[in-house]
Amino acid sequence: MSDNSLYPGLNLGETHSAAHDQAETTVFGFWVFVMSDLIIFGILFACYASYLDPVGLAGGPGPADLFDITSVAIQTALLLLGGVAYGGVSLVVKYEHGHRRLIAWLLVCAALGAGFLFFEVRDFIEQAGKGGVPQASGWLSSYWTLVGLHGIHVFSGIVWIMAMVAQIAVRGIDDVVKVRLSMLGVFWHFLDLIWVAIFSFVFLVPLS
Amino acid sequence: MTKSNTGMVDPQESAAKELKTYALGFAASVLLTGVAFAAAISDLPAVWKVGIICLAALLQIVAHLRNFLHLSFSGGQSREDLLLVLFSVTLLAIMAGGTWYIMADLGGRMHEKGMMPHEASP
Repeated sequence: MSDNSLYPGLNLGETHSAAHDQAETTVFGFWVFVMSDLIIFGILFACYASYLDPVGLAGGPGPADLFDITSVAIQTALLLLGGVAYGGVSLVVKYEHGHRRLIAWLLVCAALGAGFLFFEVRDFIEQAGKGGVPQASGWLSSYWTLVGLHGIHVFSGIVWIMAMVAQIAVRGIDDVVKVRLSMLGVFWHFLDLIWVAIFSFVFLVPLS
Repeated sequence: MTKSNTGMVDPQESAAKELKTYALGFAASVLLTGVAFAAAISDLPAVWKVGIICLAALLQIVAHLRNFLHLSFSGGQSREDLLLVLFSVTLLAIMAGGTWYIMADLGGRMHEKGMMPHEASP
């Protein structure tokens, strides 16, 4: 890390001074959005915790009937690796290792995110087959809303990554692209952080 | 750090440092995730399991903020970023913590046996 960070995420640093200065305001604005997103997730966590009792389960299927801890572990591994892989993107941009490596790292992130989504959707389908549909109980409504919202975020992240790959191919790594990649990094790492709370409090605590 | 007074940081040196930051964050995350999953499938009492999982989650969130989102907790950061995090966490504590507390209290009073006065004295 350089002496002074102007914004969240790995800072571009003085060698990219124009993009670095632009990123200060733009990434801060995006950080405001991320923090409001955090509030939404926090409220959904509170709903989930409140419904996690016999009344909230309303006689429907419970955590032990629906959750598959192996699949949760696989999803956790994929998303964690996907988050760390974005470190490769940030470092390649900062130290100018070229287009090819940058696109390769972005595709690694997207692939790991897609793998995560595959297992998550498979679990959702399996759970619905066992009667764990959102309308079965208050607990299941809050479960589908919280985990589903995170899944939609990951999907948007993948779409954003592919959009950035296209922009790099068309316009190269200019200042605009650098700032957008900085924002995407904050978003992608934030999803990882939310998943830490989800696998801990949504899956592991009820199974304990 | 003899070069710091020139205002120029050796790029090779800072790249290695940043790579180390990511590697440390990754190692901490793997370790803490492993601890949480191991606790969940262990034979410990439920209270212990929940305690370990919550502690591991908290530590891992701090590791993510420090090593992946590069938030500095010691003033090496643009002030507004940290203030916004603290403000959001305060709002969350009030809204999410308050919701959970009120609903748990209400549930305890309305649904659990022995809590209602007319049930205790038939």
